[in-house]
Amino acid sequence: MDKKPLLEVKGLKTYFHTDDGIVKAVDGVSFEVYSGETLGIVGESGCGKSVTSLSVMRLLDEKGEIAGGEILFDGKDIRALSDEEMRKMRGNDMAMIFQEPMTALNPVYTIGDQITEAILLHQDVDKETARKMAIDMLRKVGIPEPEKRVDEYPHELSGGMRQRAMIAMSLSCNPKLLFADEPTTALDVTIQAQILELMLELQKEYGMAIVMITHDLGVIAEMAERVVVMYAGKVVEYADVVTLFKDPKHPYTWGLMNAIPRLDEDKDVLYNIPGVVPDPLDFPKGCRFNTRCPLATDKCRTEEPPLVEIEPGHKAACWHIDRLVEMVKVSRAGEGA
Amino acid sequence: MAKRKSDFRKMMKKFWRNQTAVLGVVLLIMFVIIAIFAPQIVKTFSPKAAARAYAEDPYQMPRVAWTSNPLPPSKDDPFGVIGGRDIFYGVIYGTRTAFKLGLTVAGLSALIGIFVGSISAYFGGWVDEIFMRIVDIFMSIPFLVAAMVLTTILGKGLNNVMIALVVFGWMTTARLIRGNILQAREEQYVLAAKALGQKDWLIIIKHILPNTIFPVVIQMSMRMGSYVITAAGLSFLGVGAEPGYADWGTILSYSRNWMTMLDKAWFAIVFPGVAMVLFVLAWNLVGDALRDIFDPRMRS
Amino acid sequence: MTAYIIRRLLLLPLILIGVTLIIFSMIWSLGPERLLASYVKSPEALKTPDAAERLIRKYGLDQPMPVMYGKWLLNVLKGDLGYSLVGKAPVAKAIAERFPYTLELALYAFIPVVFVAIWLGITSAVHQNKFSDQFIRVFALIGWSLPDFVFGLLLLWGFYAVLGWFPPGMIDTKYEMVLRSPEWHTITHMPTIDALLNGRFDIFINAFKHLVLPILTISYLWWAYLLRITRSSMLEVLRKDYIRTARAKGVPEKLVINKHAKRNALIPVVTVAGGTVIGLLSGTVIVETVFSRTGMGRFLATAATQLDYWSIIGGALFYSFILVLGNLIVDVSYAIIDPRIRLH
Repeated sequence: MDKKPLLEVKGLKTYFHTDDGIVKAVDGVSFEVYSGETLGIVGESGCGKSVTSLSVMRLLDEKGEIAGGEILFDGKDIRALSDEEMRKMRGNDMAMIFQEPMTALNPVYTIGDQITEAILLHQDVDKETARKMAIDMLRKVGIPEPEKRVDEYPHELSGGMRQRAMIAMSLSCNPKLLFADEPTTALDVTIQAQILELMLELQKEYGMAIVMITHDLGVIAEMAERVVVMYAGKVVEYADVVTLFKDPKHPYTWGLMNAIPRLDEDKDVLYNIPGVVPDPLDFPKGCRFNTRCPLATDKCRTEEPPLVEIEPGHKAACWHIDRLVEMVKVSRAGEGA
Repeated sequence: MAKRKSDFRKMMKKFWRNQTAVLGVVLLIMFVIIAIFAPQIVKTFSPKAAARAYAEDPYQMPRVAWTSNPLPPSKDDPFGVIGGRDIFYGVIYGTRTAFKLGLTVAGLSALIGIFVGSISAYFGGWVDEIFMRIVDIFMSIPFLVAAMVLTTILGKGLNNVMIALVVFGWMTTARLIRGNILQAREEQYVLAAKALGQKDWLIIIKHILPNTIFPVVIQMSMRMGSYVITAAGLSFLGVGAEPGYADWGTILSYSRNWMTMLDKAWFAIVFPGVAMVLFVLAWNLVGDALRDIFDPRMRS
Repeated sequence: MTAYIIRRLLLLPLILIGVTLIIFSMIWSLGPERLLASYVKSPEALKTPDAAERLIRKYGLDQPMPVMYGKWLLNVLKGDLGYSLVGKAPVAKAIAERFPYTLELALYAFIPVVFVAIWLGITSAVHQNKFSDQFIRVFALIGWSLPDFVFGLLLLWGFYAVLGWFPPGMIDTKYEMVLRSPEWHTITHMPTIDALLNGRFDIFINAFKHLVLPILTISYLWWAYLLRITRSSMLEVLRKDYIRTARAKGVPEKLVINKHAKRNALIPVVTVAGGTVIGLLSGTVIVETVFSRTGMGRFLATAATQLDYWSIIGGALFYSFILVLGNLIVDVSYAIIDPRIRLH
């Protein structure tokens, strides 16, 4: 792990101006990504994890804007860059792969076209060379007969192959940082495993950092070294992956961990986090999780807990970390321990 | 039920925030007022014409001059005279004609369309196939051409124009309703009702129709404009309303005699023309705005 | 896709038969006496009291509907559409003579209609809600609310009566005689093209001058329609995921629009554009009348006012045929152009 982080996000605030009001999708999020490592961002849909990565790449649509905070990539202030400077970084220094490869690839151009386009944009090579590089890339991501596939259209490939093609496209210029937004959610379970394995291999080879955005704890367990847990636009816990699974400190994280069956534990009852994700137009006051937290007190309902470091490398935002044992009682009650 | 009420209120709020929608409504209200108070308006601004109006048939534009030359706007005839007839009278009463025609045709063709479309969608199978082929056939004749043929056969007159427009105007509504019903049938709430044992026709009335009626209303609003334009076109060509009828297209048809010196008859073009454009514009604005607020709701 | 095309082709004769049935039944409803009017070229023939009955029987106008329909349809298939009082020739010949003029108008209008509409629609979508978009949308909205004859008349007033720049009609009288002279080779029957083929550039210019206002009239109305389709198609495409991917790759915004978005947005537009020629062809009735141009449209309009029934039917059949053919071409080309459909 390097001393200086590749990406530093400090107090990021991204708001959307909709007809129904302002949606504070990301409201004060901070984390670091070091080169060569994989950071996981986990949370339910709507918690702001995708918006965070889109903010870093400045890919928000017209309704969204970065309303506050600092983003430092490789020492550069992302928010201060001009549109042209930012454009040069995209695909080149930082890249992104998306959840639905079918809709994320342009249906009227061949995948070869789309990959060589990325190459030609950022590297000083001619068309012939770019095409060769594209074919090489396709081979590297495990697509058989790449010389044939390079001239095929996205809809002619299977789901897994499309995602591999996307990966090929985003890695074609050897970016330092790759955002992977739910890359395997739309794929079959068996293909999921292959894609994740592929990503780990390529990471080792290219030495890039990966930000893995997902709601799937299994993917986090497999891929991430450190994890950010987000809820309702805020970071609620921040730790390395082992600690997160073994010793979560925030009730929400604890709930997530105990809502899934585990091979290393004997559980008869799965915990169910009560309630639903709050309306982004109207987040609860105080700690945003208070409406669903069994440990909530009046303080939680009025004051927002800051993200504090409980132990080196482990932060959580909760007023009642010390009372977490009660959660254990709550869940064990069902097991008759 | 409560959710639908608040949905409705939300939609109305969005509607009024749209400036063009408000403009459309304002224009429509203006036209409605003109139509209702037509006799008074004519009496105030063109008393000579009002005096000469035919008591048995107020829709005949009165003759105020005995020369066929166009006479420019004057104090007596604010919009001028063409073919011996008072244009102001024609434009004002033409508003009534436009509403009469537009609403009747839109209403009747919508009814027929809803009927055919619903039956087609409900029965499905070869009934659907046959009805939709019939729709295809009717839609294979260009609208204006078809209306022209029919009015030629039936003869001149506003009623014949309306018949012609209805006979060839119901198809788009039929297709729309059929498509919506077919789509709605697959919706979760319908399947749920069916699973609960709800009767078919009750499902249609309670669940499907309310959700499919709104696009029809929107379509009707948009079609109002095109019906009025087509009817005016027929009158312009001489196969529409009776000669001398207070109809914007009829006034314009008089200008055909002065093609080479339109500068002498400009008022016969401008006044009914502007009236027509504003009328159609109003309906288009309202229909457009309604569609804007309905579409995103449909998509989500 | 082939299954779809085959189905459409099989339905084609059915639709055409249906159209002929509708048109014929409208005419048939006139009854024998009124139908007779189209056969009688002069009032002399009806001098005697029983002349009408005799002629009705002679032309078979009192037979049952299916028989009359069958006979008529057979004639149509043979190319005999009856006699045109307006054209003073068999209807088929009258139509064939006039069609090239209408075709010329449609062809010339097609280019500005399609290309300007696409340009405006894309600009409007890319600059959504900014001033240029609002302006273009108002422009389109007015065009949509403007009847073609009103606009045409206004143009005639402004550009002809007042300014004297662009006249109605087909060509100046002084050139008309050239067209009738034996040295003139009428090849395509389209004045502008024939002028070029005959080497008379001055006639070409003159004929073109007469086309300007009609083309402008048609264009504005069609822009209003095509523009909206292009705009909404483009807006939909701009919201798609692959546009975001392109930006994430670092594609410059100009390329995002011109390469990634346009290609997808234009798929439905191109197919509609194909239908535009057909629509142009069938929509010239009013324009030709307003600008006193020879062609199918004015033929039909004149026939309608003079109650020349066989001309009306012939014209209506012809227009329907074009429309059906046009729809078929549009449907098939849509299947061909979209690679997603093509390769299945």
